[in-house]
Amino acid sequence: MREVFEPAHADLRIAYLEARQRARSRLALARLRILYAARVLLLALDCGRVVIAGTLAFDRSHPPQLPGDRHPQEPFTMLVYYARHALRLLLREPGFTIAALLTLALGVGANVAVFAVVEAVLLRPLPYVDADRLAILKHRDQRTGLTKQDVAMGDFVDLAARQSVFESIAGYGSGQGLLFGFGDPFRVSTLGAGPGLLDTLRVRPVLGRLLQPDDSRPGTAPVMVLGYELWQRRFGSDPNIVGRGVKLGPRERQVVGVAEAFRFPPAATVDVIVPMTVPATAPAERRSGWWPYAVARLKPGTSIEDANANLAILSTALQHEYPRSNQASEYFALPLRDAVVGDTKAALLLLLAAVGVVLLIACANVANLMVARSLARRREMAVRMALGAGRAQLVAQLLAESLMLALTAGCAGALVAMWGVRGLVALLPASVAAPGLADVRIDGRVLGFTLGVSVATALLFGLVAALTVKRESASGALVAPGRVTMSRTARRATSALVVVEIALAIVLLVGAGLILRSFVRLLAVDPGFRADHVMTMGFAVPSDRYKDADSRRGFHDRASAALRALPDVRDVGAAVVMPLTGNNWTVPFERVDQPVAAGARPPEVGWQVASGGYFRALQIPLVAGRLFDDSDTPHTRPVVIISEAVQRRFFPDESAIGRLIQSGDGPAEIVGVVGNIRRADLRDEPRADLYFPAERGPGNETTLFVRTTSEPDGVLPSLQGALRAIEPNIAFLEARTLSDVAAASMQVTQLALWLLGLFAVISISLAAVGIYGVMSYVVRQRTREIGTRVALGASRMDIAWLVMRQGAAIASLGTALGLAASLVASRSLAAILFGVSTSDPATLAVSAGTLIAATFAACCGPAHRAARVDPARTLADQ
Amino acid sequence: MRKPRLPEVTHLQFLVLAVLQSGERPGRSLRKAIGQYGVRRTAAAFYQMMARLERDGLVEGWYDQITIGDQAVTERRYRVTPAGAAAWAETRAFYESAGLAAARERWSDA
Repeated sequence: MREVFEPAHADLRIAYLEARQRARSRLALARLRILYAARVLLLALDCGRVVIAGTLAFDRSHPPQLPGDRHPQEPFTMLVYYARHALRLLLREPGFTIAALLTLALGVGANVAVFAVVEAVLLRPLPYVDADRLAILKHRDQRTGLTKQDVAMGDFVDLAARQSVFESIAGYGSGQGLLFGFGDPFRVSTLGAGPGLLDTLRVRPVLGRLLQPDDSRPGTAPVMVLGYELWQRRFGSDPNIVGRGVKLGPRERQVVGVAEAFRFPPAATVDVIVPMTVPATAPAERRSGWWPYAVARLKPGTSIEDANANLAILSTALQHEYPRSNQASEYFALPLRDAVVGDTKAALLLLLAAVGVVLLIACANVANLMVARSLARRREMAVRMALGAGRAQLVAQLLAESLMLALTAGCAGALVAMWGVRGLVALLPASVAAPGLADVRIDGRVLGFTLGVSVATALLFGLVAALTVKRESASGALVAPGRVTMSRTARRATSALVVVEIALAIVLLVGAGLILRSFVRLLAVDPGFRADHVMTMGFAVPSDRYKDADSRRGFHDRASAALRALPDVRDVGAAVVMPLTGNNWTVPFERVDQPVAAGARPPEVGWQVASGGYFRALQIPLVAGRLFDDSDTPHTRPVVIISEAVQRRFFPDESAIGRLIQSGDGPAEIVGVVGNIRRADLRDEPRADLYFPAERGPGNETTLFVRTTSEPDGVLPSLQGALRAIEPNIAFLEARTLSDVAAASMQVTQLALWLLGLFAVISISLAAVGIYGVMSYVVRQRTREIGTRVALGASRMDIAWLVMRQGAAIASLGTALGLAASLVASRSLAAILFGVSTSDPATLAVSAGTLIAATFAACCGPAHRAARVDPARTLADQ
Repeated sequence: MRKPRLPEVTHLQFLVLAVLQSGERPGRSLRKAIGQYGVRRTAAAFYQMMARLERDGLVEGWYDQITIGDQAVTERRYRVTPAGAAAWAETRAFYESAGLAAARERWSDA
């Protein structure tokens, strides 16, 4: 095949390029491109034909026989014959062909577009050697069910030393830093690599060496490895870069090598790799003082289940050894892909199932069209049967027509998918960080899927139409060609198809309805703070100029004063954790006057570092006491603020103000109680939160929350200008409005709503078209009966009701089946739904009502025609 | 004298070998040249025939890079092998001798 296709394709390409040289307008160029694509497709088909013909090497001396002939046929010749005949028939009926093609192309296109995303996100191998052996270690608090992707340092060291299932475990951390000495300082993404990280990922150097375990030891000379892209982009692929000193943040580091191009975590850019210190033995004190991320490589032949069994045993051992930090604490491993894809896997598979349903409905519709069309061809079929054609040959002919239709629809569907895929990727939530997402394409695997779907589609609707071909009707069709009626099988088949269409449409409609209700509920959720008119802006100040807490506090005071002086700014606050981004960092909570029993682990509450201005900017209400203020400094006694949930849980019948709790800096006094907020997610119940004052020790990297009186986007330049006037070397990180953050947290629900809603609308339309077709046929078939009834005195209403009743019977059966199926199918939506049960009666009722209304509307036309039947004319025609 | 036997190359192969006698050519030019003799073959059928000739060792094919505008593309070029030249000469000799023999017979009958 290749020896034929390659040179022929080269000729085609040369001709295309030569014509392109001569093209004078964009229109001509577009025309050339389309022609070229069509010619490549035809060439591929012709190559297949030539190669098959060459393989079969049949005798060309005999011309192809007609399918009616029962003599043994040359398979390939017959195939070509059927295909040509089918093509001729389809071109002869452009109305039918276009309707069927559009229906199928939309169905196949939607499937291909969704599959292309599924392929990129779920099926394409991650870009690491033996990527299926890589796993991320995670931590679960069995008391709350909360999971974290980081590992307490003490546990990390113990797990790494005791485990027997991983080839290696390595700690890592991602961050950002400022690189100096090459023009203006610029931000780089840094990967803090614990010993063995690059070996675990199987990354190789392209220049110099990678990091070695010695580089992570405290006291060794600071070194760094450059990422390939940064080396190319900023250092012009300088081959002499190794050995040079580069200032990263406050420290000068020696470049020891350049790594090959890679990303880690899989969607994150790696500009610079610096060693991360990991102690050789588990620290006896503060085992949970530091939480690195951990990636591990499974030993060959070890499964993720084996690894989790081993980690469960080790977690239990750690619980017994260190109950105060590890009670109810469990570690487990998650395949790297699952960790990257997260909840989106379920959403994508759901989407694939939904488009599959749309395709089934499209198939049912086209099958109905085919059955109706086969009626008009009864005479042709009868002639063929009379000439000796067997039923098998007629079925083969019908299947060939289906195949031609489906393959053409497949090609059109692939084109639809090329556009659809871009829109779909744009709709996907930003939290989906699969590396393949940047490169979703219609490649060989996707085209293979398209071909498979097209052939399956053809078989599905072709078989239904083919099965209605009946031998015994041949003589009747020849004798009375004018009276064309459906066989009983065909009638049942078309009605059954419409029932299936309605049932499937109900399933999609119920799904879309449930998600719509969840979305409305989510919009109505009170997060406990006001997200409108708030700009959030991350920044970092150079750590060599702001070395201690006092200097950083000084900067923050000056910055807050400068920002508050701006005309559109009402309040300015700072915090570490951005609300509604899924962050669920926690901290142990223990009253000083009610210490937790020895050997028991204190309960955990949410952790946040915030300034007093943060509560004002987000309008989180102060319930009791005071907010943090200027009196809280790095040198005053530690203070904290608690949320109402903490007050209720730990101080149910007393005031918490003035009470002491244990904190990392010793006992801290509770000075205020604020309202609860939904910190991690809008779907979360408000959790207990503990706030530490940013005023006591702001970090080099902080996020500002600025409440504005005008649109927050417009204020951003003046905010940045005011900060740069105070510190010219400030680096700005991500800036977005809090409303955008809140909207992003609902993106998965929104995506599901948009797509399921769209599919539901398409499926209702298709079902309505289906029932319209069936009822129109019924009216045509019963014209004589209707005429007789009118002649005998039936009113127009009686006749209309006669038709509507038949439509209602089909719709009721379809609706009942659909409701039963949706009760089962909607269970798969449980993870996406919020505040609504999977069997919500209101949604079920509205969905059924909508579909019955659509069916009723579809029956109106045929009923109207039936009511206008003229009895004199009808009876005279008979 | 050796007993004559039917040539193993077909008319079409004979024609291709004949065109290639004048020197190497790209496939598309070769296809155009045989088209002047009324031979119409789709690109796929033509290159399948050329692949068979290559497999039989009668022609040699290779890819050559050419530039059109700013794009570099490859095209398939062919030349006749010594075995191909011999097969062509043998076929030509067969038809010539067969033609001469037939003419001689006609003369002798007269």
